[in-house]
Amino acid sequence: MTSESTLFSNRWLPALLVAPFMLLIVLFFYVPIFQAFYWSFFLEQPFGGGSMFVGLDNFARVLSDREFWQAGWRTILFMVTGSSLAVLVPLILAVAADRKIRLSLPARNVLVWPKGVAGASIGVVFAFVFNPFVGILAPLNQAFPGIWAPGIDGTDAFITLIAAHVWGGIPFNFVILLAGLQSIPRTMHQAAAMDGAGPWRRIFDVQLPLIMPQLFLTLVLEFTESVTSAFALIDTITHGGPGGATTLLVYKIYKDGFSGYDLSGASTQTAILMVFVILLTAAQFVFLGRRINYER
Amino acid sequence: MNAIDTAIRAAAASITVKGLTKAYDAQTVVIPPMDVELKAGEFTVVLGPSGCGKSTLLQMIAGLERVSGGKILIGAREVQDLEPKHRGCAMVFQNYALYPHMTVFENMAYSLKVAGMQKAERTERVAAVAKMLGLADYLQRKPGQLSGGQRQRVAIGRAIVREPGVLLFDEPLSNLDAQLRHDMRVELADLHRRIGATTVFVTHDQVEAMTLADRILILNKGRIEQFDTPKAIYHHPASVFVAKFIGAPPMNILSVTGDGSALRLADGQVVANAPLTGAYQLGLRPEDIVVDGKADGHAVKAKLRFREDLGSHSVLAADLGGSIVRIATPFGAEIADQLELHLNFPTSRLHLFDAATGRAIPGAFGAQ
Ligand SMILES: Nc1ncnc2c1ncn2[C@@H]1O[C@H](COP(=O)(O)OP(=O)(O)OP(=O)(O)O)[C@@H](O)[C@H]1O
Ligand SMILES: [Mg+2]
Repeated sequence: MTSESTLFSNRWLPALLVAPFMLLIVLFFYVPIFQAFYWSFFLEQPFGGGSMFVGLDNFARVLSDREFWQAGWRTILFMVTGSSLAVLVPLILAVAADRKIRLSLPARNVLVWPKGVAGASIGVVFAFVFNPFVGILAPLNQAFPGIWAPGIDGTDAFITLIAAHVWGGIPFNFVILLAGLQSIPRTMHQAAAMDGAGPWRRIFDVQLPLIMPQLFLTLVLEFTESVTSAFALIDTITHGGPGGATTLLVYKIYKDGFSGYDLSGASTQTAILMVFVILLTAAQFVFLGRRINYER
Repeated sequence: MNAIDTAIRAAAASITVKGLTKAYDAQTVVIPPMDVELKAGEFTVVLGPSGCGKSTLLQMIAGLERVSGGKILIGAREVQDLEPKHRGCAMVFQNYALYPHMTVFENMAYSLKVAGMQKAERTERVAAVAKMLGLADYLQRKPGQLSGGQRQRVAIGRAIVREPGVLLFDEPLSNLDAQLRHDMRVELADLHRRIGATTVFVTHDQVEAMTLADRILILNKGRIEQFDTPKAIYHHPASVFVAKFIGAPPMNILSVTGDGSALRLADGQVVANAPLTGAYQLGLRPEDIVVDGKADGHAVKAKLRFREDLGSHSVLAADLGGSIVRIATPFGAEIADQLELHLNFPTSRLHLFDAATGRAIPGAFGAQ
């Protein structure tokens, strides 16, 4: 393409321009990743004093640990329910906002605000919102004592976590999905109406297929993000409890590494988690990405 | 003739509009009360300048736009409050509005599927329409893989596959290039002859209107200026607006004054004898003006300003008493390059309009 070659006629300019960013990525992403992989083959002493190559011993140890598998399943459960809801809820909001274009302006603004809130703050807010004594569900507890007890009941704690995660995911996904819906030409709706399709049918036959690229994007990002972004929420709301019911892999890695000083175990689990996320994303692209029609 | 043709011909319904109005708010009245009747099986072209309410009228018939008042009857049924799907209309859009994620087959079969038709019957119907429109080889393609003309045909196929009583077109040809436009026009005329659906076709292209229409409905700011056959509209325009809108170049309109025995231009030259007094507008088509020749009318003098040679004929622009008059010379005529032209205005070809209202005054120069 001529535009590219004329824009960057200087050979070194492009390299220079991306250098700072590459430096950041290498320093804070690739190096730690490489180190995690590297360490997973060594046994590290908790208080320094040298490490010892142990081959696949760390992996054998981690994979035979029941707690690892439990945390793994919880991670997957959180990923599937959390991500689906974090796409589904904004999708419903976006479809509604797209219909009533007059209300969508304030809605767009209000719904985007959570984007500016850090994960930990969301956690603190939700710890309060879902507090069994003073939160929004407190009246429920007064009517049926003990029905909502995230401090004791693992399921309730998990629900709290997912609710906080979904809430935090609304702004970005809402904006992306609404943009997709708004870019569908008006005549497309009119044509479908002439073909006899009612508003509900149009959602499934016209709107959803046409925003597939946006849906796919949000879903892929959500899946990968839910693995790690849960950390801030767990750390502020449940601390992994009660009874480990909300200890997802990220949180377990943190606890093992920084409280239990099992640095090798933590590195090994990090490596496993990373490979899992990479495989999952690749699978999404292979099985879903190909079927998406980007043409308009 | 196959089953689709006969089914559509049988379903063709008249459209009656009674006191129909459309206003977005008190200031923007797009269509003041309108009454018109489109006969069953008739091809009506709605013609008018941009923003005159053509699309609005069409969408109200289709049910895509709410009416502000009045009634719309399709056949004997009042439909103004019905959903689009209950009106028996199909529509072809300017940008085709095909579903990009569906194949040509799925696009055409969609309305049948929504209506709950069995798969076998759907396939059969779509195949018949595809064959009629020459789309049989493209059924498995996506719209993105088709040319503009093919897409337009798919859009037409999607509309007629339901065997609608009324077929609505909103500037369906304006996205095509000149050659394709011409071809599609011929195809549309042919299609209409075969299926005989009641058709309303919106355009601002007068060539499309003249060639396709059984009757042309000319709109001006939402008002009907004239509703008649192409021939009548061309030869007997009901108003200055219509006269200026139809014909290329359009009809010349001159301001004249009657002194009781003759009509005079601003510079005093007599253009016609008529027992009229007061101000009038005089219309004469460029091709009716005779240059340097003998004709039954008055001769006037004009100064040649410029000329355009179009191959088959030339268009001259001349200054006549301060206003420009366009003259289309007959085929092959040689006009000498001279500055002063002697123009003859045949009285039988003159059109007289009321200066204030712009409406035609028929029979001003005897029988027309
Ligand atoms: N939603 C709306 N609110 C207010 N005015 C509108 C609205 N939609 C259309 N109009 C006005 O209605 C008038 C008629 O519009 P319409 O689309 O019917 O014109 P048209 O004859 O189809 O023009 P074109 O040849 O450019 O397509 C225009 O003046 C337009 O500004
Ligand atoms: Mg229009």
